[in-house]
Formats: sequence, structure tokens, C-alpha cells
Amino acid sequence: MAIQLQQVSYTYADRSLWRQTALHDINLSIAQGSMVGIAGATGSGKSTLLQLFNGILKPSQGTVQVLDVTIQAGEKAPRLLPLRRRVGLVFQFPEQQMFEETVEKDLIFGPLNFGMSPEEAKARARQAMTDMGLDLELLERNPFRLSGGQMRKAAIASVLAMDPEIIVLDEPTATLDPLSRAELIGLLERLCREQGRTIIIVTHRMDELLPYADHWALLKEGGLMFQGSGLALAQDPDILERCGLSVPQSLRYWHAVARRFGLEGEQPCLTADSLAERIALLQAEGMRDSHE
Amino acid sequence: MNERLLLGRSIETGSWVHKLDARSKITGMLLYLAIILLSHSWAAMGLLAVFSVAVMLSTRIPLKYFIKSAKPLRFLMLFIFIVQMLSVKEGEAWLTLGSFSLYEGGLRLGAFSVIRMLFLVTFTSLLTFTTTPGKLNQGLEGILSPFKKLGLKPDRLTMMIGLALRFIPTILDESQIILKAQASRGADLKELPLKEKGRMLVSLLVPVITSAFRRAQDLVYSMEARGFRMDAPRTRYHRLRWGTADTLFVVMFIIMGVAVAVL
Repeated sequence: MAIQLQQVSYTYADRSLWRQTALHDINLSIAQGSMVGIAGATGSGKSTLLQLFNGILKPSQGTVQVLDVTIQAGEKAPRLLPLRRRVGLVFQFPEQQMFEETVEKDLIFGPLNFGMSPEEAKARARQAMTDMGLDLELLERNPFRLSGGQMRKAAIASVLAMDPEIIVLDEPTATLDPLSRAELIGLLERLCREQGRTIIIVTHRMDELLPYADHWALLKEGGLMFQGSGLALAQDPDILERCGLSVPQSLRYWHAVARRFGLEGEQPCLTADSLAERIALLQAEGMRDSHE
Repeated sequence: MNERLLLGRSIETGSWVHKLDARSKITGMLLYLAIILLSHSWAAMGLLAVFSVAVMLSTRIPLKYFIKSAKPLRFLMLFIFIVQMLSVKEGEAWLTLGSFSLYEGGLRLGAFSVIRMLFLVTFTSLLTFTTTPGKLNQGLEGILSPFKKLGLKPDRLTMMIGLALRFIPTILDESQIILKAQASRGADLKELPLKEKGRMLVSLLVPVITSAFRRAQDLVYSMEARGFRMDAPRTRYHRLRWGTADTLFVVMFIIMGVAVAVL
């Protein structure tokens, strides 16, 4: 298991007038090398949950186990710097955290902090740029002169440059145009499948992640409502509505098709292409049937 | 760090002080300042104490909040007390240690300074506790309006103050996120040696400042899009209303001032 949470609660501003429980009694496990989607309505505690994964927040109750590091409530946390190299956390609008005068300097900031040599850091920066599908020429540019999508990718590359085993992203596709969104999800999936990294994505648009995610976790008002495979979720979409989320269009289409043609038991086809192929196949089957 | 500043936070209890016009409250506070400066005797201090505590209690806000507001100044108060005690050489000497003596006048003036400061800070926090920032700002504009003839533009001034107050929590929240993001990239201020901290500060300041500028730019556009023009006359959603209670409130301070000056 890459990440395991046991009975974790988190309370903001403990011991004050304005205390607020953001998470309560969460039991969650995330397998190494999987692609995980986390969804929930606004204020359901998604962002708080992410910050537990690399020790930015420490649990008020329970135990968080990430790789081989254990953070237990009420106990002194171990040194977190090594953990933060291995768990890359990308906040919302990561482009807003860039500050150096060239993209390259921004990319090597993380690796240098974690004690890599400058040569190694630069090599990692190049690798991260390639992984994010960015042109190496951009390295010399000022980050504030990139386009919105490029800037977002460069900022994600700056976390990737730390060579993390687990990459956690908070709404990475928000405010991007549809093309960049699809591209970014595709790139993240490649990192997961080809390099074996664990990818955790918080998203508002379940549609774009449904075809790729192995595992889903749904939050509602600070509690974990569902965790399981995308297949399980596809079979019981009502759970989404109970979490205050709307059922994604791809899932609605699949359900309509499955009901109409009696395909309920099958692996759901959640992209436009695969669904079209499945329907075409139906037609072929139908013609064969009518010939017999 | 997650807690917002207590300073400037209004606490709603719906007492009679809350319902007063912000202008009368500001006037009252200015008069209170004069009263404090006029009190020069123990009797005056005593009267002041009774009056202040009575008004504070009548707001139905627990006294401990008022006391909390003076807490950051405790070392300054101690310092002033010690300096006054040692430097003023009036009255009879109470204690003599070699060439050094403590005088009655020194102790008295030291105590007065501390009491004045304590009352000034705790009592004037009544203004911010019982008035929302918006109303306070509007009251300030009302108070400053006579200065229009001198070329001062109170509405500009209060617009600036209002916007600044509005964005303090937003910018604090945003800095918090940047702080966390950089900590995730290995720049955790808590875990680093001192000489590295300076370098890390740049990684925080640049994003915070650029985002503040971006925010300001957006704000200008959105205000203009909604028809805001500098110096154009504007109607108000909440009107200031001066009632009998307001007059009484101000008169109360004037009577206190006279009483204190006489004592």
C-alpha cells in the first residue's frame, strides 16, 4: 500500500472558538502504482485530505501511513523532508507558486532543496519537461511569459522534477481549455502506467478521469462515502447523487446503452470512442443475428 | 496561523451600543481620549474605571475579550511603568538604596500611564467590537466630510481603507497556500537552518506579491464593469442615522470629561 489512513480525523483551529472538523473517521487505502480519483462536493474535505498525504497537515486523530513513514496523531512527527520528496503535492493553480526568473531555475528549486546536485537537478528538470510534453526550449524562458496551459504544466513539472513516487494533484485541470485538459490527464496516465508512479487526482470533472482511474474515493461532509473501483462506481451511480455530485455524462450514456441493449454485466465503455465501437459492434452482432 | 486576527473583528450581540450610529461612536472615542488625558488624580482614575467598565459591560460582550485586546501591549506598559518610576523624582522618597531612591511621584505617574494606556486600548476596542468594518468606514467618512471644503476626499480615503480591510484575510489565506506549496517542494521554513530561511523567503514573497497585483487588477476591472467611477456621487445601501441615543451617548462622554477635569 502506498498510502493507508486509519480512523483519521482532522480539525482546523483546534482549541479555539472557530474550530471546525474537516474530516472524520476516514479509513482509506491506496495501492502502489494505481491511478486514484477523489471527488466530492465543495467543502467536503478533499483538499484537507490531500494535505495529509505529505505531512503538511498532521491528523488530529488516527494514523496516516505513507510509504514507510507513519504519522500518528498526538505523537511527534518524524522528519518530513524525505517524505515530501517522495510524495509530490501539486496545489490548485500551481502556476501561482512559481517565482524564479527562468523555468529551469523554478524546476530545480525542489530538487536542490532535497539535496540533489545541480547537474542531477538539471537532468531531472529536463526529464520532467519531457514527461509533461513541454519543449525544452522553454527552460530558458521566464515562467510569467508562458501561456496558461504551459505554465500549469511547467508548475506540475517542477513537482515532477523531485522524482516523487506518489503524485497528488488538487484539481489540476481547473481553468484549462478542453484540449489541454485531455492532454494533461493523458500525460498523468502515462506517468502512472509507464513509470509505475501512484497518481492521486482530486477532480470536479469526473468525466475526464472516469476512463482512466482504477480506484475512486468519494467524500461527503468530511466523511468517506465510497471507495472502490471505477467499475463498482459505474454499477451504482446513485452513490454519486448521495454525495451531492451529478452523475457524469459518460456514465449516463453507458447506462442508457447498457439498459437498452442488455449489457449491464460488461466492462463499461466510458469514452466516446469506446462507446461508439461497442455500439458498432452491437449493430454487427444484430446483422449477424438477423442473417441466421 | 489558521486563526484570523481577533483585531478588528466585530462581535454581534445586538446591544444598544451596537445599534448606535458609527459617527457617534467615533466621536465618543475621540472624547474618551481627551478624558483620559484630563484625568490627573486617583479619584478621576476611579471614576473613569467605573464608567469604562459599565459601558463595556453594557455591550454584553464578555470582558475577557476587551482585556485580550490589551495583551499584546503588556511589555510596552511594563516598560513605560519602569521608565516613569525611575525618571520622575517628585514627592517623598519611599525607598532608598544607596544613591538610588524611589519617589512617590514616580510610582504614581508610572501607575497613571499604565492605567491610561490600559483603558485607552481596552475601551477603544469597543468601537471595532460593536461596529462592522463597513459601518465603521462609513462613519469615518461622515466624520471626515467637513474636511471636503479643504480639498480632502473622504470617500476616496474610506474606499481605500475599506478595500484594504476586505483583502487582508484573502491575502493571508493565499499566502498560507503558497507557504504550503513551497513546503511541499522542500522549502519548509520550520525545518530549515536560519541562513536558508532568507533564500526561502524570496520563494514566498514573489508569488504573494504577484498575486496581490493580479488581484488588484481584477478588482479594478470588476469595479469599473459595475459602473464605479472615482468621485462620482453614489447612493448608499445603508444610511447613517443620528438618533436620540447617539446624542445621549456623546453627551455622556462630555459629562464624564467635565467631571474628570474637576476632580
